[in-house]
Amino acid sequence: MESSILESIGQEIIGVMSPVSLCMLLVVLLVYSLSDSNPFSSSSAPIRTAANLVYLENPSDTTAQKLEGALLNALVFVILIAIVTFVLVLLYYYNFTNFLKNYMRFSAFFVLGTMGGSIFLSIIQHFSIPIDSITCFLLLFNYTIVGVLSMFSGGMPIVLRQGYMVSLGIIVATWFTKLPEWTTWVLLVALALYDLVAVLAPGGPLKLLVELASSRDEELPALVYEARPTVSRNEGNPRSTLGLLVAGVSDSGSVELQAVSNNNVRRDGAENRRSPEYTAIQVRNLENVEGERNRDEGERSPLVGHSRERYSSDSNSSEYSTVIHNRESETSVDEEMSPLVDLLGMDNEREHERRDSVVASRGIKLGLGDFVFYSVLVGRAAMYDLMTVYACYLAIISGLGCTLILLSVCHRALPALPISITLGVIFYFLTRLLMEPFVVGMATNLMMF
Amino acid sequence: MTVAAGIGYALVALGPSLSLFIAFISKKPFLILTLLSSTLVWLISLIILSGIWRAFLPLNSTTWWPFAILIFSSIAFQEGLRLLFWKVYKRLEDILDAFADRVSKPRLYPTDKMQIALGHGVAHAVFFCLSLLTPAFGPATYFVDRCSQIPFFLVSAIIALAFVTVHTFSMVIAFNGYAEGNKVDQLFVPSVHLAAGMMTMINFAYGGCVIGIPLLFLMAILTVMHCGRMVWRRLSESQRQVDS
Repeated sequence: MESSILESIGQEIIGVMSPVSLCMLLVVLLVYSLSDSNPFSSSSAPIRTAANLVYLENPSDTTAQKLEGALLNALVFVILIAIVTFVLVLLYYYNFTNFLKNYMRFSAFFVLGTMGGSIFLSIIQHFSIPIDSITCFLLLFNYTIVGVLSMFSGGMPIVLRQGYMVSLGIIVATWFTKLPEWTTWVLLVALALYDLVAVLAPGGPLKLLVELASSRDEELPALVYEARPTVSRNEGNPRSTLGLLVAGVSDSGSVELQAVSNNNVRRDGAENRRSPEYTAIQVRNLENVEGERNRDEGERSPLVGHSRERYSSDSNSSEYSTVIHNRESETSVDEEMSPLVDLLGMDNEREHERRDSVVASRGIKLGLGDFVFYSVLVGRAAMYDLMTVYACYLAIISGLGCTLILLSVCHRALPALPISITLGVIFYFLTRLLMEPFVVGMATNLMMF
Repeated sequence: MTVAAGIGYALVALGPSLSLFIAFISKKPFLILTLLSSTLVWLISLIILSGIWRAFLPLNSTTWWPFAILIFSSIAFQEGLRLLFWKVYKRLEDILDAFADRVSKPRLYPTDKMQIALGHGVAHAVFFCLSLLTPAFGPATYFVDRCSQIPFFLVSAIIALAFVTVHTFSMVIAFNGYAEGNKVDQLFVPSVHLAAGMMTMINFAYGGCVIGIPLLFLMAILTVMHCGRMVWRRLSESQRQVDS
């Protein structure tokens, strides 16, 4: 039987949605398994992080106090993020690339080691796994080192890098779920707004960063998850994928024009950026260089659009802020800066990147920050009930789908957070307030429709 | 009652859907997307319904007629939404078929429509049954007064299974009925939905679940049979068309 067209459409979208779903699932599982162990510890010893600088939530405060405190917290956090992003842009502008690159490696090592390590330890404690400390330390060390290697150097299997990206997202998201409830929700909304501004507004730091990177013809300094295409490609004959919505009206000439011009702009290779900021959704459209109009293969995926870049910013410093807990350290600002910029060594790795870029020039990229904040939202929904988890999961996935479709329509960098977070928050509150009494009331009476 | 029991209940409710998913849908990325969007649409319908009814909740659980009104109105709303969904689906199908013609690949198969149906069934099962399963993973279990022979989780899983079946196959029937303009099919689906919903009301009486649940499964089997007959008829018709 010939395969229906449905087999090819949406392959790339699923390639992004599966790791996001996996990340969310694992964060929910972690939240569930680790929350039973100490239900009251958070209220007894609140961690002071950058997200908590102004107001430490206390369950006994009034609603107004909590709301006000949460708003202040979110404001301070977003301002910190903005400052750090601007510093990042400055550093990038003045070409402090080696410094940034090494700092990025150090920060990845640090996050995987300490934050991942503490989660690992609490899992061991919770499930009473019989393992001795030396083995544990060795395993953790290996895990961390391989992680740093796979994320920041080429030549590693893409699956490994993808796996480490997802696990980094899981670790950071799990730490974020330890924040108090009101602060979390207000923070998510504030970050979605910040993302919108930072990417789309003319003076936005991320927009500047994107323009700098594209004007220098370099990889964007970002930690991005790449969903490599599964279709094997011939290096000399890159095929194209055209968006259905767009291809219907555009002729091949305009597509090629765009493809060629985008060739210089985007490099997908092995760039990594520590920041959760960047949602670079990029779909390459490289027409066949001989000019054959091989439309059959070209129009394989109607829902994915032309090449474009899309970046979204999230709080990049979040992972650091949660680590700096009891030492109100001055280094917090430094470390917060680090995750944002990591520029791979442009000299020796450039060729590598170029080689990679031809092979890997198809595929969608999603910034790590989006993984983190989607998972934070779902993790926080998991702390209430499973029903909210499903509702928020569906909302986020549909928001992501909408953003991807929007991406195929507008040919510019778009933030990934706002739509999904807005839908997620709306669905969470609707489900919690409206649907739960309805459904639970019916189901406990054994009625369904 | 431990993780194993929890997973067991979840599989009772969603096992067939999972196998349908793995067999048909997971290979085609687009179908996964439509499954998710269909699930979302029905979630939104549930939210709207609960929004409308919120002022009256929680209902007094000793009288049965408020629940009857609740179920009736919800089913009416969902049937209306189904019609709307059909119209949107028709447009999508036209776009996809035009696209398929342009790249000279075969058009959509009838089985491809199943995923939308599956999304409907899965949405209902997930929200009515799975979301309540969290305590089932713990050490205890829960019995409802009205049906005290089996644990609540098992009862709700069984009911969810029946409803998944009803919803999945009735959506296929409904879409086919709208496409062919077949009045019988078009009326069959809302009536089955209504009948199934009303049968759960039998559970309201003490010990009623012993009668209600088998009747519910009868409706489910009826739906499956009707759907099978309809699909068989269509396949043999298209086969005859191909031959002639």
